[in-house]
Amino acid sequence: MRAALRSAWRFLVGRDRFERGMAEEMRFHLEAYAADLEREGVPAEEAARRARMEFGGLDHVKDECRRASGLRLFDEAARSLRQAARRLRRTPGFTSATVATMAACLGANLALFALVDAVLLRPLPFMDSQRLVRVFNSYPRAGVPDDGCSLTNYYERRGRIAALASMAVYWPDTAVVGGAGSTVRESSLRVSPEFFATLGQPLAMGRAFTEEETTFETDRVVVLSDAFWRERLGADPGVLGRSLRIDGLEMSVVGVLPPGFSFLSSPARLFFPLSSNPEQRLPSRRHSGGGARQMIARLAEGASLEEAQAQVDAHDAAVSAGDPAAPQMAAAGFRSRVVPLHADHVAAVRPLLVLVQAGAVVLLLIGAVNVAGLLVVRASAREKELAVRQALGAGRRHVVAEGLAEAVLLALVGGVLGVAIGAAGIRLLSALGASQLPLGARVVLDARVAAVGLGVAAVLGVAMGLPFAWFGLRAGPEALHLQPRGSTSGRAARRLRHALVTAQVALAFVLLSGASVLGLSLWRVSAIAPGFRPTQVASGQVVMPWKHYPGAQARVGFAERLLEEVRRQPGVTAAGVSTNLPFNGWSGKSAVRVKGHAPRPGESPQGHYVFGVGGDYFAALGFTLREGRFLDASDPRRPERVCVVDDAFARRYWGEESAVGRRLFWGPQEGADAEAFAVVGVVGAAKQAELAERAGQGAVYFPYGHGPNNGDLYVVARTAAPADLFEATLRGAVRAVDPEVPVADVRAMDARIADSLVARRSPALLAGLFSAAALALAAIGTYGVVAYAVAQRRREIGLRIALGARPSQVRAQFVGLALRLLAVGLVVGGAGAWLAAGAVQGLLHDVRALDPWMLAAAGGLLAVVALAASAIPSERAARVSPVEALAEE
Amino acid sequence: MGKPAELLPGTLDMLILKAVSLEALHGYGVLLRIRQISGGALDIAQGSLYPALYRLERQRLLDTHWGLSENNRRARFYTLTAAGRRRLKEEAAGWNRLAVAIASALDARPEEA
Repeated sequence: MRAALRSAWRFLVGRDRFERGMAEEMRFHLEAYAADLEREGVPAEEAARRARMEFGGLDHVKDECRRASGLRLFDEAARSLRQAARRLRRTPGFTSATVATMAACLGANLALFALVDAVLLRPLPFMDSQRLVRVFNSYPRAGVPDDGCSLTNYYERRGRIAALASMAVYWPDTAVVGGAGSTVRESSLRVSPEFFATLGQPLAMGRAFTEEETTFETDRVVVLSDAFWRERLGADPGVLGRSLRIDGLEMSVVGVLPPGFSFLSSPARLFFPLSSNPEQRLPSRRHSGGGARQMIARLAEGASLEEAQAQVDAHDAAVSAGDPAAPQMAAAGFRSRVVPLHADHVAAVRPLLVLVQAGAVVLLLIGAVNVAGLLVVRASAREKELAVRQALGAGRRHVVAEGLAEAVLLALVGGVLGVAIGAAGIRLLSALGASQLPLGARVVLDARVAAVGLGVAAVLGVAMGLPFAWFGLRAGPEALHLQPRGSTSGRAARRLRHALVTAQVALAFVLLSGASVLGLSLWRVSAIAPGFRPTQVASGQVVMPWKHYPGAQARVGFAERLLEEVRRQPGVTAAGVSTNLPFNGWSGKSAVRVKGHAPRPGESPQGHYVFGVGGDYFAALGFTLREGRFLDASDPRRPERVCVVDDAFARRYWGEESAVGRRLFWGPQEGADAEAFAVVGVVGAAKQAELAERAGQGAVYFPYGHGPNNGDLYVVARTAAPADLFEATLRGAVRAVDPEVPVADVRAMDARIADSLVARRSPALLAGLFSAAALALAAIGTYGVVAYAVAQRRREIGLRIALGARPSQVRAQFVGLALRLLAVGLVVGGAGAWLAAGAVQGLLHDVRALDPWMLAAAGGLLAVVALAASAIPSERAARVSPVEALAEE
Repeated sequence: MGKPAELLPGTLDMLILKAVSLEALHGYGVLLRIRQISGGALDIAQGSLYPALYRLERQRLLDTHWGLSENNRRARFYTLTAAGRRRLKEEAAGWNRLAVAIASALDARPEEA
């Protein structure tokens, strides 16, 4: 092995030196010998001649020396490659078609692999990142599988779970940076003091937060990302201690992060302490998570995930003893779950990515099989030449090497082009939404991915060359007979060609059937009504700095002034505000208690969507009124506590009875009557997270100011003007009310819905693309086989036509060949589709993975394509002129 | 002195190792040395010498370096490596055993058989 490596090394780098040394050594030998002969009295000329003669053929000796040094194999390989390149240059059509096939198939795979690598394979960029975990509260029976964690959880657990060495909480937020007229909205994270330490992330400058900085009075400090520091502060080296105007306050910079730091998929560039007051840390707030606040932790040295889970379970059990809410939470299936951070972060997209990559691999297989088939067809055409050469003594190894060299060369050139195509493909994937995937921003086509690509190309090259090489060896002397069709090698080659086309049809069928059910599923999902009328509705987000609008009244005042401005814009017929919007990507649920509703034993409390809405929110979005009235613009200012529920909520608690006049409480407990909200109307249920979600979660709409009330406010307007004009409209309206408030995320409502479908649309689109390519390849393969068969049998066809066969009979013979291959391919492909069905089913909505209609459609499409592909050569066969055909050879 | 004897297969390597074991030699020197130590009884085909040298070098039994020949020409010299020295010892011992065995076989008389 070492010797082989050494000779390989010598072949690659020291080859010139080796040759020069060898030539010099032998020249020395000849001259020294001639000189000795001269000394014995032989004349100079005669001496040189005798020395050369006795030495033997110099080239032969040199070749023997090369072989002795283990260089022959490499020489042969290099020669084979050179010859292969020459042969391939002589057939530019074949060569460019196969190289393009390999390049396209490899490129698609590489682009996807770069994505899979970034999202699923590459570890998170933190020290010992596989020890990082997330801990979250789960209430599965309440329809809330993931509610993040509460501050109480954090303060109760900190330092008390032995298996967790370090623990931190964070909460994504937005910050308004700058003063009047030049405010920018920046993503931020509010983090507990150990956040960076838990990640094992040292700061480039300054320090992380301290425990003292976690109260609202002392939290005016900020840690900057490297990008923010460079772009906004000119990389000021004296930035520590500098004051920045953020959310209308002066905040002091205490630290700067190193370049490249990002936490999971968070776009945050600013980091603030996660402050709270003592009331927020009380045991009564233990279950007030809310989804957005999350806990991360680092497993202690030697501790396993299972130990950590067991200790968290034990701790939960200990603290909830005596908690009045505990039975209710137990009924909701409460458990705090400990999961690996990376796997958990990408869990939702893993099946999707694996499926799409699998689709691409199938396409690559089809491409490789196609090239292998074309190589065999090519070899069949050279059958006699190969047989003659073997008869003349060409070694078996030589014939094999020749086949492999062609295939490897094609694959490698295809691989290099494929890397380039992959690099371009990454951009296409980003356009299809890949950069929105968790960790999708990490996608690069780096040396690692390129190396994988070239390695796969080389392996495929060898694999594609094997049928050719096998065939070349079979091409024995009998191929020299005048009727190659009857020879065993001819039959073997034909079987091989047919098997390869059948494999292509089968793989194409798997892809097509997958793409068709994905497409049908997408179509069915997009046909689902969202529960409101999203056309001609524009929406946008405004972020009110907390310090300027601390109280509900101030916020209600801002919203009223803003809506007045918006309504004044041309085209706007109705406008409203809400604390959250359907399809905006975040859909937290809260507990709501209905007065007089006694949960049956074991009945789980249900999490409901909760909104605070103002203005003509329902009219603007186009909700339908089922009973009572909508909330109106005056409700936020009125002292009466009222609310509107959706029909799913009403049905759940009151069945067929009227909901109007019923009372409910915001929160898990029944409170004093003065805190109850009276239901004044029932509206149709609207989808929140995505169109395909199960209906029936139930929603409650409170007047803005009475209900949920954070800094985020969404404005919606029904407008006759085009939606893309709304951004300027909204910005103008906001500027008129408060120039310090930034505007973000302005989109038409139907665009929001379309965007929410990206996780269904992009895979369907890619699968469609792959299927189209697979169809084209299967068509080329079928065409190639039928055309070859026609060319081989020209004499026979001519004879039959001369004996009176009708053209239609000849045509049917070759169309029949294509149909036989198709039929076998469909059966094999059907089995493949059946095997793949399990993986696809999870991504489908309201469609079975083996939908018989879709399978039939996919098979029908393949049949049409195969018939079309065989039509041209069959037609050529039917028109064979017997005179010409019989005159050949 | 008669015609030089044909080499038995497998003995060329041993002879080369032996020749080089005495001092560093260039290829032509190896040829001369074998002729000399065998008293001219053994001659080797010049063309087969170099492939053998390259093979032994590849097997790490020989080392090479460039030096100056007796008449001040640049030449490649071969020396024995430690592995080469071991190999020579083994082969010599094996050869001697074989030679003794063959000699006694040829000396055998009918009544002893």
